[in-house]
Amino acid sequence: MHKLCDTPCKAEEGLSSELARLAGHRKVYVLGIGNRDRGDDGAGIAVAEKLQKNFPSYSRSENDGLEGIVLDLSESDEEAFVVFVDAADLREEPGTVRLVPMEEIRATEITTHRVTVALLAALLDKAKKGSAVVCIQPGSIEFRADITPPVKSAVDCVASVLSELMSRRN
Amino acid sequence: MKTLEVVPLARVEGDGGITVTLDGKKVKSVTLDVHEGPRLIEQLVKGMTPEDDINVVPRICAICTLSHKYAAIRGLERALAIDPPEKAQLMRDLMMLGENVESNSLHTFLLALPDFLGYPSAIAMLNDYGDDVKRALRLKKFGNHVMEVTSGRIVHGENPGLGGFGKYPSKKQLSEIAIRSKELVPDAVRAVELFSSIEYPEHSEVETTFMSVNAPNKKFGLAGDSILISNGKETDADDYKKLTSERVVPHSFAKRSVYKDKSFAVGANARMINMGKRLEGQAADLFKENYSDRWLRNPLLNNLAQAIEMVWALESMPETTEKIAALDDPVRAEPTRISGSGTGAVEAPRGILYHHYDVRDGLIETADIITPTAQNLDDIEVHMKACAERLLAEGKKDEELLLPLEMIARAYDPCISCATHLVRLKRV
Repeated sequence: MHKLCDTPCKAEEGLSSELARLAGHRKVYVLGIGNRDRGDDGAGIAVAEKLQKNFPSYSRSENDGLEGIVLDLSESDEEAFVVFVDAADLREEPGTVRLVPMEEIRATEITTHRVTVALLAALLDKAKKGSAVVCIQPGSIEFRADITPPVKSAVDCVASVLSELMSRRN
Repeated sequence: MKTLEVVPLARVEGDGGITVTLDGKKVKSVTLDVHEGPRLIEQLVKGMTPEDDINVVPRICAICTLSHKYAAIRGLERALAIDPPEKAQLMRDLMMLGENVESNSLHTFLLALPDFLGYPSAIAMLNDYGDDVKRALRLKKFGNHVMEVTSGRIVHGENPGLGGFGKYPSKKQLSEIAIRSKELVPDAVRAVELFSSIEYPEHSEVETTFMSVNAPNKKFGLAGDSILISNGKETDADDYKKLTSERVVPHSFAKRSVYKDKSFAVGANARMINMGKRLEGQAADLFKENYSDRWLRNPLLNNLAQAIEMVWALESMPETTEKIAALDDPVRAEPTRISGSGTGAVEAPRGILYHHYDVRDGLIETADIITPTAQNLDDIEVHMKACAERLLAEGKKDEELLLPLEMIARAYDPCISCATHLVRLKRV
Protein backbone atom coordinates (compact mmCIF):
# COMPACT_ATOMS: atom_id res chain seq x y z
CA MET A 1 0.00 0.00 0.00
CA HIS A 2 1.41 3.37 -0.97
CA LYS A 3 0.85 6.27 1.32
CA LEU A 4 0.60 9.18 -1.03
CA CYS A 5 -1.19 11.89 0.77
CA ASP A 6 -0.93 12.89 4.41
CA THR A 7 -3.28 15.06 6.44
CA PRO A 8 -3.76 17.71 5.31
CA CYS A 9 -2.86 16.75 1.81
CA LYS A 10 0.84 17.32 1.38
CA ALA A 11 1.54 15.01 -1.46
CA GLU A 12 -0.79 15.87 -4.33
CA GLU A 13 2.10 15.44 -6.70
CA GLY A 14 2.62 11.84 -5.66
CA LEU A 15 -1.02 10.92 -6.20
CA SER A 16 -1.12 12.90 -9.43
CA SER A 17 1.96 11.33 -10.96
CA GLU A 18 1.00 7.81 -9.96
CA LEU A 19 -2.53 8.11 -11.37
CA ALA A 20 -1.17 9.70 -14.54
CA ARG A 21 1.26 6.81 -14.93
CA LEU A 22 -1.43 4.20 -14.42
CA ALA A 23 -3.94 5.95 -16.68
CA GLY A 24 -1.47 6.34 -19.51
CA HIS A 25 -3.13 7.97 -22.50
CA ARG A 26 -6.60 6.66 -21.65
CA LYS A 27 -9.67 8.70 -20.80
CA VAL A 28 -10.25 8.92 -17.08
CA TYR A 29 -13.56 8.04 -15.44
CA VAL A 30 -14.24 8.62 -11.75
CA LEU A 31 -16.73 6.51 -9.82
CA GLY A 32 -17.48 7.66 -6.28
CA ILE A 33 -18.54 5.06 -3.74
CA GLY A 34 -20.07 5.51 -0.30
CA ASN A 35 -23.03 6.59 1.73
CA ARG A 36 -23.64 10.29 1.92
CA ASP A 37 -25.88 9.83 4.95
CA ARG A 38 -22.96 8.59 7.04
CA GLY A 39 -20.54 11.47 7.39
CA ASP A 40 -17.10 10.71 6.00
CA ASP A 41 -18.32 7.53 4.33
CA GLY A 42 -19.64 9.87 1.67
CA ALA A 43 -16.14 11.07 0.74
CA GLY A 44 -16.10 9.15 -2.55
CA ILE A 45 -19.50 10.50 -3.51
CA ALA A 46 -18.33 14.02 -2.62
CA VAL A 47 -15.31 13.70 -4.91
CA ALA A 48 -17.47 12.48 -7.79
CA GLU A 49 -19.98 15.26 -7.26
CA LYS A 50 -17.27 17.92 -7.27
CA LEU A 51 -16.09 16.63 -10.64
CA GLN A 52 -19.54 16.28 -12.16
CA LYS A 53 -19.85 19.96 -12.98
CA ASN A 54 -16.91 19.98 -15.36
CA PHE A 55 -16.92 16.32 -16.34
CA PRO A 56 -20.56 15.22 -16.32
CA SER A 57 -19.97 12.26 -18.61
CA TYR A 58 -16.89 11.05 -16.80
CA SER A 59 -17.73 11.36 -13.13
CA ARG A 60 -20.51 9.32 -11.56
CA SER A 61 -21.39 8.05 -8.13
CA GLU A 62 -22.74 4.88 -6.59
CA ASN A 63 -26.15 6.51 -6.65
CA ASP A 64 -26.06 6.23 -10.45
CA GLY A 65 -25.63 2.44 -10.40
CA LEU A 66 -21.99 1.48 -10.68
CA GLU A 67 -22.63 -1.92 -12.24
CA GLY A 68 -24.30 -0.47 -15.29
CA ILE A 69 -21.64 2.15 -15.81
CA VAL A 70 -18.83 -0.38 -15.56
CA LEU A 71 -20.67 -2.85 -17.77
CA ASP A 72 -21.10 -0.19 -20.46
CA LEU A 73 -17.45 0.79 -20.22
CA SER A 74 -16.31 -2.82 -20.40
CA GLU A 75 -18.31 -3.27 -23.59
CA SER A 76 -17.22 -0.03 -25.26
CA ASP A 77 -14.29 0.40 -27.60
CA GLU A 78 -13.09 3.43 -25.71
CA GLU A 79 -9.72 3.23 -24.03
CA ALA A 80 -10.75 4.00 -20.49
CA PHE A 81 -9.19 4.15 -17.06
CA VAL A 82 -11.55 4.07 -14.08
CA VAL A 83 -10.69 5.57 -10.71
CA PHE A 84 -12.90 4.31 -7.88
CA VAL A 85 -12.90 6.68 -4.91
CA ASP A 86 -14.09 5.34 -1.57
CA ALA A 87 -13.76 5.88 2.15
CA ALA A 88 -11.80 3.04 3.73
CA ASP A 89 -10.39 2.24 7.13
CA LEU A 90 -6.66 2.53 6.41
CA ARG A 91 -5.90 2.71 10.14
CA GLU A 92 -4.39 6.13 9.55
CA GLU A 93 -5.22 9.67 10.51
CA PRO A 94 -8.57 10.93 9.16
CA GLY A 95 -8.09 12.41 5.72
CA THR A 96 -5.17 10.21 4.77
CA VAL A 97 -5.37 9.30 1.10
CA ARG A 98 -3.94 6.18 -0.45
CA LEU A 99 -3.87 4.62 -3.84
CA VAL A 100 -4.56 1.01 -2.97
CA PRO A 101 -3.35 -1.71 -5.34
CA MET A 102 -6.15 -3.80 -6.80
CA GLU A 103 -4.56 -7.01 -5.49
CA GLU A 104 -4.99 -5.65 -2.00
CA ILE A 105 -8.61 -4.73 -2.68
CA ARG A 106 -9.26 -8.24 -3.93
CA ALA A 107 -7.62 -9.81 -0.91
CA THR A 108 -9.48 -7.77 1.67
CA GLU A 109 -12.84 -6.85 0.21
CA ILE A 110 -15.73 -8.69 1.80
CA THR A 111 -18.51 -9.68 -0.53
CA THR A 112 -21.88 -8.69 0.84
CA HIS A 113 -25.11 -8.35 -1.07
CA ARG A 114 -23.65 -6.04 -3.68
CA VAL A 115 -21.35 -6.11 -6.64
CA THR A 116 -17.87 -5.59 -5.27
CA VAL A 117 -15.33 -3.08 -6.51
CA ALA A 118 -12.96 -6.00 -6.98
CA LEU A 119 -15.40 -7.68 -9.38
CA LEU A 120 -15.99 -4.47 -11.31
CA ALA A 121 -12.24 -3.90 -11.55
CA ALA A 122 -11.70 -7.49 -12.68
CA LEU A 123 -14.33 -7.01 -15.37
CA LEU A 124 -12.60 -3.85 -16.54
CA ASP A 125 -9.28 -5.64 -16.51
CA LYS A 126 -10.69 -8.46 -18.63
CA ALA A 127 -11.93 -5.86 -21.11
CA LYS A 128 -8.43 -4.37 -21.17
CA LYS A 129 -9.48 -1.21 -19.37
CA GLY A 130 -7.50 0.03 -16.41
CA SER A 131 -8.65 0.84 -12.90
CA ALA A 132 -7.38 2.08 -9.57
CA VAL A 133 -8.86 2.63 -6.13
CA VAL A 134 -8.23 5.82 -4.21
CA CYS A 135 -9.12 5.41 -0.53
CA ILE A 136 -9.72 8.18 1.99
CA GLN A 137 -9.49 7.48 5.71
CA PRO A 138 -12.75 8.57 7.38
CA GLY A 139 -12.85 10.23 10.78
CA SER A 140 -16.51 9.77 11.59
CA ILE A 141 -19.20 7.73 9.91
CA GLU A 142 -21.96 8.79 12.25
CA PHE A 143 -25.40 8.78 10.71
CA ARG A 144 -26.36 12.19 9.28
CA ALA A 145 -23.03 13.72 10.28
CA ASP A 146 -21.25 16.19 8.02
CA ILE A 147 -17.94 15.33 6.40
CA THR A 148 -15.22 16.20 8.92
CA PRO A 149 -12.68 18.97 8.11
CA PRO A 150 -9.66 16.69 7.46
CA VAL A 151 -11.70 14.47 5.16
CA LYS A 152 -13.11 17.52 3.40
CA SER A 153 -9.52 18.62 2.75
CA ALA A 154 -8.76 15.18 1.38
CA VAL A 155 -11.86 15.31 -0.84
CA ASP A 156 -10.68 18.65 -2.22
CA CYS A 157 -7.18 17.25 -2.74
CA VAL A 158 -8.34 14.14 -4.59
CA ALA A 159 -10.87 16.08 -6.67
CA SER A 160 -8.18 18.60 -7.61
CA VAL A 161 -5.75 15.87 -8.69
CA LEU A 162 -8.41 14.08 -10.70
CA SER A 163 -9.73 17.26 -12.25
CA GLU A 164 -6.29 18.14 -13.49
CA LEU A 165 -5.75 14.64 -14.87
CA MET A 166 -9.16 14.56 -16.55
CA SER A 167 -8.53 17.97 -18.12
CA ARG A 168 -5.46 16.54 -19.78
CA ARG A 169 -6.85 13.15 -20.78
CA ASN A 170 -10.55 13.62 -21.54
CA MET B 1 -13.02 -28.26 22.47
CA LYS B 2 -12.18 -27.49 18.88
CA THR B 3 -13.01 -24.29 17.08
CA LEU B 4 -12.94 -23.82 13.35
CA GLU B 5 -13.46 -20.46 11.73
CA VAL B 6 -14.25 -19.35 8.23
CA VAL B 7 -13.70 -15.66 7.80
CA PRO B 8 -16.07 -14.14 6.80
CA LEU B 9 -19.57 -15.48 6.25
CA ALA B 10 -19.76 -13.62 2.99
CA ARG B 11 -22.19 -13.08 0.17
CA VAL B 12 -25.11 -12.47 2.49
CA GLU B 13 -26.37 -9.08 3.57
CA GLY B 14 -25.78 -8.68 7.26
CA ASP B 15 -23.69 -8.89 10.34
CA GLY B 16 -24.16 -12.53 11.17
CA GLY B 17 -22.41 -15.81 11.67
CA ILE B 18 -22.92 -19.52 12.03
CA THR B 19 -21.92 -21.47 15.11
CA VAL B 20 -21.81 -25.25 15.09
CA THR B 21 -21.38 -26.91 18.47
CA LEU B 22 -20.31 -30.54 18.39
CA ASP B 23 -20.15 -33.02 21.22
CA GLY B 24 -18.02 -35.80 19.83
CA LYS B 25 -19.71 -36.79 16.59
CA LYS B 26 -23.04 -35.45 17.77
CA VAL B 27 -24.29 -32.08 16.63
CA LYS B 28 -25.34 -30.25 19.73
CA SER B 29 -26.58 -27.14 17.96
CA VAL B 30 -26.26 -25.06 14.82
CA THR B 31 -27.16 -21.43 15.22
CA LEU B 32 -27.36 -18.54 12.80
CA ASP B 33 -26.27 -15.66 14.95
CA VAL B 34 -27.37 -12.13 14.15
CA HIS B 35 -24.96 -9.66 15.66
CA GLU B 36 -26.35 -6.52 14.14
CA GLY B 37 -27.88 -4.43 16.88
CA PRO B 38 -31.56 -3.56 16.92
CA ARG B 39 -32.26 -0.24 15.26
CA LEU B 40 -35.56 0.39 16.98
CA ILE B 41 -37.22 1.71 13.84
CA GLU B 42 -40.66 0.75 15.14
CA GLN B 43 -40.12 3.00 18.16
CA LEU B 44 -38.63 5.74 16.04
CA VAL B 45 -41.73 6.16 13.90
CA LYS B 46 -44.15 6.43 16.83
CA GLY B 47 -45.80 9.83 16.75
CA MET B 48 -44.81 10.45 13.14
CA THR B 49 -47.29 11.18 10.39
CA PRO B 50 -47.90 8.35 7.92
CA GLU B 51 -46.19 10.43 5.23
CA ASP B 52 -43.05 10.70 7.36
CA ASP B 53 -43.18 7.01 8.21
CA ILE B 54 -43.01 5.89 4.60
CA ASN B 55 -39.88 7.97 4.15
CA VAL B 56 -38.20 6.57 7.25
CA VAL B 57 -38.94 2.84 7.17
CA PRO B 58 -37.32 2.10 3.77
CA ARG B 59 -34.01 3.04 5.40
CA ILE B 60 -34.15 -0.34 7.11
CA CYS B 61 -32.64 -1.78 3.94
CA ALA B 62 -31.01 -0.38 0.82
CA ILE B 63 -31.67 -3.60 -1.12
CA CYS B 64 -35.35 -4.09 -0.30
CA THR B 65 -35.98 -0.37 -0.05
CA LEU B 66 -39.03 -0.43 -2.27
CA SER B 67 -40.49 -3.47 -0.54
CA HIS B 68 -40.33 -1.62 2.76
CA LYS B 69 -41.83 1.47 1.18
CA TYR B 70 -44.63 -0.53 -0.42
CA ALA B 71 -45.39 -2.62 2.68
CA ALA B 72 -45.67 0.57 4.72
CA ILE B 73 -47.88 2.19 2.09
CA ARG B 74 -50.18 -0.83 1.96
CA GLY B 75 -50.44 -1.03 5.74
CA LEU B 76 -51.14 2.67 6.13
CA GLU B 77 -53.59 2.76 3.24
CA ARG B 78 -55.54 -0.04 4.87
CA ALA B 79 -55.39 1.79 8.18
CA LEU B 80 -56.61 5.07 6.71
CA ALA B 81 -59.00 3.55 4.16
CA ILE B 82 -57.19 5.00 1.15
CA ASP B 83 -58.20 3.53 -2.18
CA PRO B 84 -55.33 4.14 -4.62
CA PRO B 85 -56.08 4.56 -8.32
CA GLU B 86 -55.46 1.73 -10.75
CA LYS B 87 -52.50 3.45 -12.36
CA ALA B 88 -50.76 3.74 -8.98
CA GLN B 89 -51.36 0.05 -8.30
CA LEU B 90 -49.80 -0.84 -11.64
CA MET B 91 -46.82 1.42 -10.98
CA ARG B 92 -46.29 -0.35 -7.68
CA ASP B 93 -46.38 -3.67 -9.47
CA LEU B 94 -43.75 -2.39 -11.88
CA MET B 95 -41.42 -1.07 -9.20
CA MET B 96 -41.61 -4.39 -7.37
CA LEU B 97 -40.78 -6.23 -10.60
CA GLY B 98 -37.72 -4.02 -10.98
CA GLU B 99 -36.57 -4.66 -7.43
CA ASN B 100 -37.10 -8.38 -7.90
CA VAL B 101 -34.94 -8.49 -11.03
CA GLU B 102 -32.28 -6.31 -9.41
CA SER B 103 -31.98 -8.49 -6.33
CA ASN B 104 -32.51 -11.94 -7.83
CA SER B 105 -29.98 -11.34 -10.62
CA LEU B 106 -27.28 -10.43 -8.14
CA HIS B 107 -28.04 -13.29 -5.81
CA THR B 108 -28.37 -16.03 -8.38
CA PHE B 109 -25.47 -15.28 -10.71
CA LEU B 110 -22.96 -13.59 -8.45
CA LEU B 111 -23.58 -14.69 -4.87
CA ALA B 112 -24.97 -18.24 -5.07
CA LEU B 113 -23.65 -19.59 -8.36
CA PRO B 114 -19.93 -19.55 -7.42
CA ASP B 115 -20.64 -22.09 -4.64
CA PHE B 116 -22.28 -24.53 -7.01
CA LEU B 117 -19.70 -24.16 -9.75
CA GLY B 118 -16.81 -24.54 -7.32
CA TYR B 119 -15.44 -21.01 -7.39
CA PRO B 120 -14.61 -18.93 -4.33
CA SER B 121 -16.28 -15.84 -5.80
CA ALA B 122 -17.75 -14.28 -8.91
CA ILE B 123 -14.33 -12.79 -9.65
CA ALA B 124 -12.86 -16.26 -9.94
CA MET B 125 -15.72 -17.19 -12.30
CA LEU B 126 -14.90 -14.38 -14.67
CA ASN B 127 -12.61 -16.31 -16.96
CA ASP B 128 -14.89 -19.30 -17.43
CA TYR B 129 -18.27 -17.63 -16.96
CA GLY B 130 -17.55 -14.05 -17.99
CA ASP B 131 -20.71 -13.84 -20.07
CA ASP B 132 -22.79 -14.89 -17.09
CA VAL B 133 -21.20 -12.25 -14.90
CA LYS B 134 -22.12 -9.72 -17.57
CA ARG B 135 -25.65 -11.10 -17.70
CA ALA B 136 -25.95 -10.48 -13.98
CA LEU B 137 -24.78 -6.90 -14.37
CA ARG B 138 -27.10 -6.31 -17.34
CA LEU B 139 -30.08 -7.58 -15.40
CA LYS B 140 -29.13 -5.67 -12.29
CA LYS B 141 -28.64 -2.49 -14.27
CA PHE B 142 -32.08 -2.92 -15.80
CA GLY B 143 -33.69 -3.68 -12.42
CA ASN B 144 -32.06 -0.53 -11.06
CA HIS B 145 -33.37 1.42 -14.03
CA VAL B 146 -36.94 0.27 -13.46
CA MET B 147 -36.63 1.19 -9.78
CA GLU B 148 -35.31 4.62 -10.73
CA VAL B 149 -38.03 5.31 -13.28
CA THR B 150 -40.80 4.29 -10.90
CA SER B 151 -39.48 5.49 -7.55
CA GLY B 152 -37.31 8.42 -8.59
CA ARG B 153 -33.96 7.01 -7.50
CA ILE B 154 -32.10 3.73 -7.62
CA VAL B 155 -32.03 3.54 -3.84
CA HIS B 156 -34.55 5.10 -1.46
CA GLY B 157 -36.68 6.69 -4.13
CA GLU B 158 -39.36 8.99 -2.80
CA ASN B 159 -41.77 9.06 -5.71
CA PRO B 160 -44.20 6.42 -4.34
CA GLY B 161 -46.55 7.84 -1.76
CA LEU B 162 -49.79 7.22 0.05
CA GLY B 163 -52.62 7.16 -2.47
CA GLY B 164 -50.42 7.32 -5.54
CA PHE B 165 -47.19 8.68 -7.01
CA GLY B 166 -45.66 12.12 -7.22
CA LYS B 167 -44.90 11.68 -10.89
CA TYR B 168 -45.65 9.06 -13.51
CA PRO B 169 -43.18 8.00 -16.19
CA SER B 170 -43.59 9.06 -19.79
CA LYS B 171 -44.91 6.70 -22.45
CA LYS B 172 -41.43 6.68 -23.96
CA GLN B 173 -39.87 5.54 -20.69
CA LEU B 174 -42.50 2.84 -20.31
CA SER B 175 -42.03 1.68 -23.88
CA GLU B 176 -38.27 1.43 -23.38
CA ILE B 177 -38.79 -0.71 -20.29
CA ALA B 178 -41.11 -3.01 -22.23
CA ILE B 179 -38.62 -3.41 -25.07
CA ARG B 180 -35.63 -3.96 -22.81
CA SER B 181 -37.43 -6.44 -20.58
CA LYS B 182 -38.19 -8.62 -23.60
CA GLU B 183 -34.57 -8.41 -24.72
CA LEU B 184 -33.36 -9.57 -21.32
CA VAL B 185 -35.57 -12.64 -20.93
CA PRO B 186 -32.87 -14.91 -22.44
CA ASP B 187 -30.42 -13.74 -19.76
CA ALA B 188 -32.84 -14.78 -17.04
CA VAL B 189 -33.54 -18.07 -18.82
CA ARG B 190 -29.78 -18.69 -18.77
CA ALA B 191 -29.92 -18.41 -14.97
CA VAL B 192 -32.62 -21.07 -14.95
CA GLU B 193 -30.49 -23.29 -17.19
CA LEU B 194 -27.51 -22.93 -14.90
CA PHE B 195 -29.42 -23.66 -11.70
CA SER B 196 -31.46 -26.48 -13.21
CA SER B 197 -28.29 -28.27 -14.33
CA ILE B 198 -26.92 -28.50 -10.79
CA GLU B 199 -27.00 -31.76 -8.86
CA TYR B 200 -28.43 -30.56 -5.58
CA PRO B 201 -27.20 -32.55 -2.59
CA GLU B 202 -29.82 -34.08 -0.31
CA HIS B 203 -28.05 -33.50 2.97
CA SER B 204 -30.09 -30.46 3.99
CA GLU B 205 -33.50 -31.84 3.07
CA VAL B 206 -36.22 -31.48 5.68
CA GLU B 207 -39.87 -30.94 4.86
CA THR B 208 -41.09 -27.55 5.98
CA THR B 209 -44.01 -25.15 5.63
CA PHE B 210 -43.99 -22.33 3.08
CA MET B 211 -45.83 -19.03 3.22
CA SER B 212 -46.37 -16.37 0.59
CA VAL B 213 -48.85 -13.65 -0.15
CA ASN B 214 -51.89 -14.57 -2.18
CA ALA B 215 -51.63 -12.24 -5.15
CA PRO B 216 -55.01 -10.99 -6.40
CA ASN B 217 -56.89 -12.32 -9.42
CA LYS B 218 -55.28 -15.76 -9.15
CA LYS B 219 -52.09 -14.34 -10.62
CA PHE B 220 -48.50 -14.81 -9.53
CA GLY B 221 -47.52 -11.59 -7.79
CA LEU B 222 -45.63 -9.74 -5.11
CA ALA B 223 -48.36 -8.27 -2.94
CA GLY B 224 -51.66 -9.42 -1.50
CA ASP B 225 -54.08 -8.96 1.34
CA SER B 226 -53.99 -12.57 2.47
CA ILE B 227 -51.31 -15.16 3.13
CA LEU B 228 -51.16 -18.60 1.54
CA ILE B 229 -49.71 -21.46 3.55
CA SER B 230 -48.43 -24.59 1.83
CA ASN B 231 -50.71 -26.70 4.04
CA GLY B 232 -53.60 -25.29 1.99
CA LYS B 233 -54.77 -22.71 4.51
CA GLU B 234 -55.17 -19.01 3.90
CA THR B 235 -55.11 -16.18 6.46
CA ASP B 236 -55.90 -12.50 6.19
CA ALA B 237 -52.75 -10.38 6.32
CA ASP B 238 -54.18 -8.49 9.30
CA ASP B 239 -53.93 -11.76 11.24
CA TYR B 240 -50.20 -12.01 10.54
CA LYS B 241 -49.40 -12.52 14.22
CA LYS B 242 -51.12 -15.90 14.10
CA LEU B 243 -48.59 -16.91 11.44
CA THR B 244 -45.47 -15.38 12.90
CA SER B 245 -45.34 -16.13 16.62
CA GLU B 246 -42.26 -14.18 17.60
CA ARG B 247 -39.66 -15.00 20.21
CA VAL B 248 -36.16 -13.95 21.07
CA VAL B 249 -33.11 -16.18 21.39
CA PRO B 250 -29.84 -15.47 23.19
CA HIS B 251 -27.64 -15.74 20.11
CA SER B 252 -29.49 -13.27 17.93
CA PHE B 253 -30.61 -9.66 17.99
CA ALA B 254 -33.25 -10.54 15.41
CA LYS B 255 -36.57 -11.93 16.58
CA ARG B 256 -37.55 -15.40 15.37
CA SER B 257 -40.88 -16.52 13.97
CA VAL B 258 -42.56 -19.90 14.17
CA TYR B 259 -45.89 -21.15 12.90
CA LYS B 260 -47.63 -23.66 15.15
CA ASP B 261 -44.34 -24.03 17.06
CA LYS B 262 -42.41 -25.02 13.94
CA SER B 263 -40.13 -23.21 11.56
CA PHE B 264 -41.35 -22.14 8.15
CA ALA B 265 -39.88 -20.58 5.03
CA VAL B 266 -40.67 -17.54 2.92
CA GLY B 267 -39.05 -16.39 -0.32
CA ALA B 268 -39.00 -17.26 -4.00
CA ASN B 269 -39.28 -20.97 -3.25
CA ALA B 270 -42.41 -20.36 -1.16
CA ARG B 271 -43.88 -18.16 -3.88
CA MET B 272 -43.31 -20.87 -6.47
CA ILE B 273 -44.75 -23.59 -4.23
CA ASN B 274 -47.87 -21.57 -3.41
CA MET B 275 -48.42 -19.68 -6.66
CA GLY B 276 -46.23 -21.41 -9.29
CA LYS B 277 -49.23 -22.96 -11.03
CA ARG B 278 -50.45 -19.45 -11.81
CA LEU B 279 -47.39 -18.58 -13.89
CA GLU B 280 -47.79 -17.89 -17.57
CA GLY B 281 -45.53 -17.84 -20.60
CA GLN B 282 -42.00 -19.15 -20.56
CA ALA B 283 -41.84 -18.86 -16.77
CA ALA B 284 -44.73 -21.35 -16.56
CA ASP B 285 -42.92 -23.77 -18.86
CA LEU B 286 -39.71 -23.51 -16.85
CA PHE B 287 -41.60 -24.03 -13.60
CA LYS B 288 -43.31 -27.15 -14.94
CA GLU B 289 -40.03 -28.53 -16.24
CA ASN B 290 -38.20 -28.03 -12.99
CA TYR B 291 -40.66 -28.32 -10.14
CA SER B 292 -40.67 -31.45 -8.01
CA ASP B 293 -41.59 -32.37 -4.46
CA ARG B 294 -37.95 -31.83 -3.51
CA TRP B 295 -38.76 -28.12 -3.55
CA LEU B 296 -40.71 -28.77 -0.36
CA ARG B 297 -37.59 -30.05 1.38
CA ASN B 298 -34.47 -28.59 -0.18
CA PRO B 299 -33.66 -24.93 0.53
CA LEU B 300 -30.93 -24.87 -2.11
CA LEU B 301 -33.67 -24.91 -4.73
CA ASN B 302 -34.59 -21.38 -3.70
CA ASN B 303 -31.87 -20.28 -6.12
CA LEU B 304 -33.65 -22.01 -9.00
CA ALA B 305 -36.94 -20.49 -7.87
CA GLN B 306 -35.35 -17.03 -7.94
CA ALA B 307 -34.12 -17.63 -11.49
CA ILE B 308 -37.59 -18.66 -12.71
CA GLU B 309 -39.06 -15.69 -10.91
CA MET B 310 -36.75 -13.37 -12.83
CA VAL B 311 -38.15 -14.75 -16.08
CA TRP B 312 -41.65 -14.10 -14.77
CA ALA B 313 -40.76 -10.55 -13.70
CA LEU B 314 -39.30 -9.66 -17.09
CA GLU B 315 -42.18 -11.27 -18.97
CA SER B 316 -44.66 -9.32 -16.83
CA MET B 317 -43.22 -5.92 -17.57
CA PRO B 318 -44.51 -5.32 -21.13
CA GLU B 319 -48.14 -5.90 -20.14
CA THR B 320 -47.75 -3.85 -16.96
CA THR B 321 -46.13 -0.90 -18.73
CA GLU B 322 -48.73 -1.04 -21.51
CA LYS B 323 -51.53 -0.77 -18.96
CA ILE B 324 -49.82 2.10 -17.18
CA ALA B 325 -49.31 3.97 -20.44
CA ALA B 326 -52.96 3.59 -21.36
CA LEU B 327 -54.19 5.38 -18.23
CA ASP B 328 -54.24 9.12 -17.52
CA ASP B 329 -52.18 10.34 -14.59
CA PRO B 330 -54.53 10.31 -11.61
CA VAL B 331 -54.58 12.54 -8.56
CA ARG B 332 -53.53 10.94 -5.31
CA ALA B 333 -56.25 9.26 -3.31
CA GLU B 334 -56.80 10.85 0.09
CA PRO B 335 -57.36 9.20 3.48
CA THR B 336 -61.02 8.79 4.36
CA ARG B 337 -60.33 8.56 8.09
CA ILE B 338 -57.59 9.65 10.47
CA SER B 339 -57.56 6.65 12.81
CA GLY B 340 -57.40 2.95 12.07
CA SER B 341 -55.24 -0.14 11.83
CA GLY B 342 -53.85 -2.00 8.88
CA THR B 343 -51.25 -4.51 7.74
CA GLY B 344 -49.33 -4.37 4.51
CA ALA B 345 -47.93 -7.63 3.21
CA VAL B 346 -45.62 -7.64 0.22
CA GLU B 347 -43.12 -10.08 -1.21
CA ALA B 348 -39.65 -8.65 -0.79
CA PRO B 349 -37.10 -10.66 -2.79
CA ARG B 350 -36.45 -12.72 0.35
CA GLY B 351 -40.09 -13.32 1.25
CA ILE B 352 -43.10 -11.82 3.00
CA LEU B 353 -42.53 -8.45 4.59
CA TYR B 354 -45.18 -7.25 7.03
CA HIS B 355 -45.70 -3.67 8.13
CA HIS B 356 -48.53 -3.21 10.61
CA TYR B 357 -49.69 0.19 11.85
CA ASP B 358 -52.12 1.58 14.36
CA VAL B 359 -52.84 5.21 13.52
CA ARG B 360 -54.67 7.52 15.88
CA ASP B 361 -55.70 11.07 14.95
CA GLY B 362 -53.34 11.08 11.99
CA LEU B 363 -50.23 9.96 13.86
CA ILE B 364 -48.55 6.55 14.15
CA GLU B 365 -49.43 5.01 17.49
CA THR B 366 -47.73 1.65 17.02
CA ALA B 367 -45.74 0.02 14.25
CA ASP B 368 -44.75 -3.61 13.85
CA ILE B 369 -42.38 -4.73 11.11
CA ILE B 370 -41.57 -8.39 10.48
CA THR B 371 -38.94 -9.03 7.84
CA PRO B 372 -38.58 -12.17 5.73
CA THR B 373 -35.17 -13.01 7.13
CA ALA B 374 -36.55 -12.94 10.68
CA GLN B 375 -39.15 -15.46 9.53
CA ASN B 376 -36.55 -17.66 7.86
CA LEU B 377 -33.93 -17.80 10.63
CA ASP B 378 -35.37 -20.80 12.47
CA ASP B 379 -35.84 -22.66 9.20
CA ILE B 380 -32.25 -22.01 8.18
CA GLU B 381 -31.08 -23.50 11.48
CA VAL B 382 -33.29 -26.58 11.07
CA HIS B 383 -31.83 -27.30 7.63
CA MET B 384 -28.27 -26.55 8.71
CA LYS B 385 -28.55 -28.90 11.68
CA ALA B 386 -29.91 -31.68 9.49
CA CYS B 387 -27.05 -31.09 7.07
CA ALA B 388 -24.39 -31.15 9.78
CA GLU B 389 -25.78 -34.36 11.28
CA ARG B 390 -25.89 -36.14 7.92
CA LEU B 391 -22.46 -35.05 6.80
CA LEU B 392 -20.90 -36.15 10.09
CA ALA B 393 -22.73 -39.48 9.83
CA GLU B 394 -21.21 -39.86 6.36
CA GLY B 395 -17.79 -39.45 7.92
CA LYS B 396 -17.05 -35.93 6.73
CA LYS B 397 -14.38 -34.01 8.56
CA ASP B 398 -15.38 -31.04 10.69
CA GLU B 399 -13.98 -28.59 8.18
CA GLU B 400 -16.05 -30.14 5.41
CA LEU B 401 -19.26 -29.06 7.15
CA LEU B 402 -18.67 -25.39 6.80
CA LEU B 403 -19.16 -24.65 3.11
CA PRO B 404 -22.39 -26.72 2.85
CA LEU B 405 -23.75 -24.83 5.86
CA GLU B 406 -22.80 -21.49 4.36
CA MET B 407 -24.49 -22.52 1.11
CA ILE B 408 -27.72 -23.27 2.96
CA ALA B 409 -27.67 -19.89 4.69
CA ARG B 410 -26.88 -18.15 1.40
CA ALA B 411 -29.66 -20.00 -0.43
CA TYR B 412 -32.21 -18.11 1.68
CA ASP B 413 -30.51 -14.91 0.52
CA PRO B 414 -30.61 -13.58 4.08
CA CYS B 415 -30.56 -9.85 4.59
CA ILE B 416 -28.95 -9.00 7.91
CA SER B 417 -26.82 -6.15 6.52
CA CYS B 418 -23.04 -5.89 6.37
CA ALA B 419 -21.73 -9.43 6.75
CA THR B 420 -18.46 -9.46 8.64
CA HIS B 421 -18.62 -12.30 11.09
CA LEU B 422 -17.48 -15.83 11.30
CA VAL B 423 -18.65 -19.35 10.92
CA ARG B 424 -17.47 -20.91 14.12
CA LEU B 425 -17.31 -24.58 14.99
CA LYS B 426 -17.07 -25.43 18.66
CA ARG B 427 -16.28 -28.92 19.90
CA VAL B 428 -17.18 -29.52 23.55
